[in-house]
Amino acid sequence: MTAILRIESRKRVRGSVVLIAVFALLSALYFSMFPGIQEEMDVLEEAFPGFMFELFRIEELHTIEGFIAAEIYSFFWVLLLGIYFAYIGAGLIARDVQDRRMDLILSNPISRESVVLQKVGALWVPLVALNVGVALIVYVGAILIGEAFNPVALAMVHLLSVPYLLVCAATGLVASVVVDRVRTARAAALGLVVVLWLVEGVSRIDPDFEWVGAAAPSRYYDHTAILVHEEYAFGDAGILLAAFLVLVAVAVFVFTRRDI
Amino acid sequence: MRTQIEDVETESDHDEATIRLDSLTKRYGDVTANDGISFDVEAGEIFGYLGPNGAGKTTTIRLLLGLIKPTSGTAEVLGEDIRDRRALTEAKANVGYLPDTLGFEERLTGRQALDYFARMRGDERRDELLELFRPPLDKSIETYSHGNKRMLGIVQAFMHDPDLVILDEPTSGLDPLKQDRMHLFLEEERDAGKTIFFSSHVLSEVQRVCDRVGIIREGELVALEDIDDLLKRGGKQVRVHLAEPVDEQRFTTEEMIDVEVVDRTVRFTYTGEPAALLEHLVQYELEDVEIGDPQLDEIFKHYYGDDGLVGGE
Repeated sequence: MTAILRIESRKRVRGSVVLIAVFALLSALYFSMFPGIQEEMDVLEEAFPGFMFELFRIEELHTIEGFIAAEIYSFFWVLLLGIYFAYIGAGLIARDVQDRRMDLILSNPISRESVVLQKVGALWVPLVALNVGVALIVYVGAILIGEAFNPVALAMVHLLSVPYLLVCAATGLVASVVVDRVRTARAAALGLVVVLWLVEGVSRIDPDFEWVGAAAPSRYYDHTAILVHEEYAFGDAGILLAAFLVLVAVAVFVFTRRDI
Repeated sequence: MRTQIEDVETESDHDEATIRLDSLTKRYGDVTANDGISFDVEAGEIFGYLGPNGAGKTTTIRLLLGLIKPTSGTAEVLGEDIRDRRALTEAKANVGYLPDTLGFEERLTGRQALDYFARMRGDERRDELLELFRPPLDKSIETYSHGNKRMLGIVQAFMHDPDLVILDEPTSGLDPLKQDRMHLFLEEERDAGKTIFFSSHVLSEVQRVCDRVGIIREGELVALEDIDDLLKRGGKQVRVHLAEPVDEQRFTTEEMIDVEVVDRTVRFTYTGEPAALLEHLVQYELEDVEIGDPQLDEIFKHYYGDDGLVGGE
């Protein structure tokens, strides 16, 4: 029984293609800019207050790894893509309930568990498309300007972001089964992802408050450590994966017990 | 009314019930959408579930499909308790459903939508049904008219050849020709052994196709009877405009009730045979005649009293 998985996967294609195009444009912009401003990075580093670097985990801007980590991964990948996955997650159930599509879906001999899991399963489309597409774009982009990424580090920055993005999507999914109106679910999920990201970033500035950010998913995905220092935190990725599974289990538990 | 319901229940063979409601109740806060509703739908009948809009018909249907959970009481569908989620899910392979609001994936074409449902429950009767009901299969559903959507809904409800089909206001949005086709189709399906649960707020429609009818009003089942009995209670709403004023005593026959005469216009409810009515009317010089179905509310008023209970029984 994969009818829902198939149809949901198809729905994810357009958004994924658009996002790859956006990342291609961004990459073109930053790669073409890098050779010209590489030498002046220390000026830039001095011009910005230190906490901005902490917030976005910016280091080693004069290297291609540090520059791309700062420009593409710190904001667009971690925050914007996190928001995108939360947005999709929040629409998965609430949208169909609100438009009465769920009535027809559940008139089939399909369990509610299966509906949720197939919809989550369809996230493979943006996950694979974006991670393969953007990794290739960045790798080729660096070569074109005469730089080079360690392919293992680049692969890791994408692979280890998968659990992070899944947690963002699952946050949306929980909102989607709890709230009936899709706009409310999306607003709640987006708000939560942004607030957690901000709290985590700010908490890193002061070591006394670092523990505050422990509940935020972005604590467990450090793109700069991966790209610049080639440190791969598999344990942290495991924590995110576990959190994702728990959130999906919560969503299934709630959805199988509620009225629609 | 209570005795009436109990009579029907004891007459019926309990093992044959396709749907059985047992004090089914659903409350939303202070609002009781379904209040202790009990009745059986037998295998191989067309059961009409009649009530004005907002009476609780859709709530009952959504309870039967397990979309919402009863506050108290329960029901069985094809022998499975609706509170047993797993068993009900399996039973749905043998149930067709046409919702009142059709939520299709609007970007799909009609054909793609049917393919989608076919993957979940089969489509052995799809071609046959598409000869009767013809939605434009290659257009995307967002361009469909209300009637075309409904036809697509009818096809998906029957295409896996289920034993039980639950239809929520199936003919709304269909033109009269297609309504007739639908009614004929339902009768053929019934004769082939299917059970059809049919909700409607249109009395004449229920009178025409259903074998038995349950009437729901403000969440309560107010009547459960054979269609012939309802026909006797139903009657036609008639308004006659005469060329000259008429003597009420002379004009009125036994079959007319609630006769109102205002100058040359006479209004009444006619409970007899239509042919006899026409024969009676042609004796007078008529300027205009209107014969229509009484509003459900009027039936309630006349036969069940304003409080929704049967008066004098």
